[in-house]
Amino acid sequence: MSLTKVSLIDVVKKQYIYKLKAYSQVFMSLIFLQLLAVLFSMNGVGSMGGSTGGSVELQVKYFSADFVAAFTMLWGFITAILITTKAYRNDDFVFVANRISSNLSNAVFLLTASVVGGITAMLSSYLLKVIVNYFFKSTPILDAPIELLLGIFSTILYVFLFCALGYLVGTLVQISKAFTVLLPAAFFGTLILEGLSGKAGTVANVFDFFFTESSLVLFIVKIIVSAGLLFSGAFVLSNRLEVRG
Amino acid sequence: MLFNLDGTKPIYIQLSEWLENEILNGNFESDQKIYSQYQLAEIFNINPATAAKGLNILADEQILYKKRGLGMFVANSAKEMILAKRKNQTLKRLVQEIVLEAGRLQVSKEELIEMIKTADIGEAEK
Amino acid sequence: MSVIECSGLTKVYGGAKALNNLSFKIEENKITGLIGRNGAGKTTLLKIIAGLLKETSGELKVFSEKPFNSLQVSANVIFLHDQMNLPTALNLKELLETAASFYPNWDRELADRLLDYFSLNPLQHYNGLSKGMKSTFNMILGLSARVPLTMLDEPTSGMDAAVRKDFYRALLKEYLAYPRTIIISSHHLSEIEDLLEDILLVKEGKEILHMPVDILKEWAIGLQGKTTVIDEWTQNTEVIYTKSIGIDQSYVVVRNHFSETEWQRARNAGIDLTPVTSSDLCVYLTSKTKGGIDDVFNKG
Repeated sequence: MSLTKVSLIDVVKKQYIYKLKAYSQVFMSLIFLQLLAVLFSMNGVGSMGGSTGGSVELQVKYFSADFVAAFTMLWGFITAILITTKAYRNDDFVFVANRISSNLSNAVFLLTASVVGGITAMLSSYLLKVIVNYFFKSTPILDAPIELLLGIFSTILYVFLFCALGYLVGTLVQISKAFTVLLPAAFFGTLILEGLSGKAGTVANVFDFFFTESSLVLFIVKIIVSAGLLFSGAFVLSNRLEVRG
Repeated sequence: MLFNLDGTKPIYIQLSEWLENEILNGNFESDQKIYSQYQLAEIFNINPATAAKGLNILADEQILYKKRGLGMFVANSAKEMILAKRKNQTLKRLVQEIVLEAGRLQVSKEELIEMIKTADIGEAEK
Repeated sequence: MSVIECSGLTKVYGGAKALNNLSFKIEENKITGLIGRNGAGKTTLLKIIAGLLKETSGELKVFSEKPFNSLQVSANVIFLHDQMNLPTALNLKELLETAASFYPNWDRELADRLLDYFSLNPLQHYNGLSKGMKSTFNMILGLSARVPLTMLDEPTSGMDAAVRKDFYRALLKEYLAYPRTIIISSHHLSEIEDLLEDILLVKEGKEILHMPVDILKEWAIGLQGKTTVIDEWTQNTEVIYTKSIGIDQSYVVVRNHFSETEWQRARNAGIDLTPVTSSDLCVYLTSKTKGGIDDVFNKG
């Protein structure tokens, strides 16, 4: 029997298609989480009221899809951690795989998941506005198409960044169970310590770095580079991982 | 499957004997191609290497000959060779065993010859 | 060409040596039985060959490459075992389609017909199957993929006798039609020995013996008779197994390197000579002591 020769690209492609089917449950949890977020958003994020000296009352309730976006980013983070766990990782090795192909196809899968997450997050905001309009009989303020696209695009990138972070975290945990304790400890420790000392903390700085960037191009670059670094880190670290259990 | 699996006689030997019987029965003529190791493996549910061993025993005894790339063929005087072999080896060995057993049971040679004379081939084949 | 070349292979798991300086070669297109007790290192060895685990030390080449992280090795090796986790989201039909996408030699028709023959429902999910059906499905996957190195670890776990028979037959037929290198690790040596060409016997992570089954069947011989006579006869031979029978008789198993005339003399001396099945021989060769489990009960 003659040997088959395979190329990395080929295998990554096949694994990616395989994962779209095998990991399809994550999309259900996405929908579930987003609907949950819409529910939470129903109360409004803030309200403003005022009255002029007269008989006009004005009430403005802020409804925002921020909850949905935040939940979607959280979902991305968790999904990425999930696919680094044994049950998911081992699925690859039943067929044709090596660690690089497995990681690459995971990254492409997470990118797809981010795209889906970003689009559905934006759609949820519309769902929210529709519901509000129905219940409160008020006029919704709709975004212009360009803003919609920008919204989707930036949400996708944010979710992808969280995926990258989750993937690295998950990989670290796979390498050593100690990280299950170390990482949260480091994160919350930093928050608490810096909070106590009253300074603007590292976490807040990181937050600003990404979330308050006004230049679109710079924003894209920041996300892509950071995500790239996080993924590369995970790839390198996982290259020696054995397939156990 | 069709073989005696109690370990007294290796499978490849039982196979070679079966092939000899096939030749004696006239199922295979001289210069006719005999079963390949793969066909034998399929028929008897054994590994083809074991089947090959059985074929090779017969080839070594010149009962079969190899044609490169075509397989194993029955030799010209295969039938005669098999009969001679059986008479010389197998039958002789059986005779020795009978004599030994008779000795253990204290049956005399004359008694033994009588037993042989009255043995019915028909009875034996049942 | 050797498909697998292994030299001084050692694998350490948390202080214990699962594989201990193991060396052997496996030639192309042979069916080899990997035999040994539980914990002898069989599954560990297969996992290292498949590239799932990495050896601690020693050399291992599969198709002339190191298997760990090798895409080429992964594409030409399929390893099926009963701890396999197939994704729960896919049903059997989808799993077979996935396999078809990964393996260029995949025979779709064969897979479908086998699925049908064993009455497996294509819409079922893998984790809903019983142990025997999982093994059956694994077998269908393994055979239909037609991969140059096919490794099966305890492939008949949970299968009933009828399915086991069918499996061996299917394996043989596939092998005859499309020869490939096959390694089967099994506890049922007596069932598969006719199917095998070679046997690789391992004990405590080390190879004890690697030879054709036909030779193994004649490798040892059992002697039974009066203990004094037996002892005399086996003075200069290594005794593989010994058991006392009654008051003054023994049964021993020794290497069979006596000539026909010597055997005849033994028989005349009142010793009963019997062949030793490969299955029994492997059990004796891998026991801790020469008396086997009886030693536990005989002490004190």
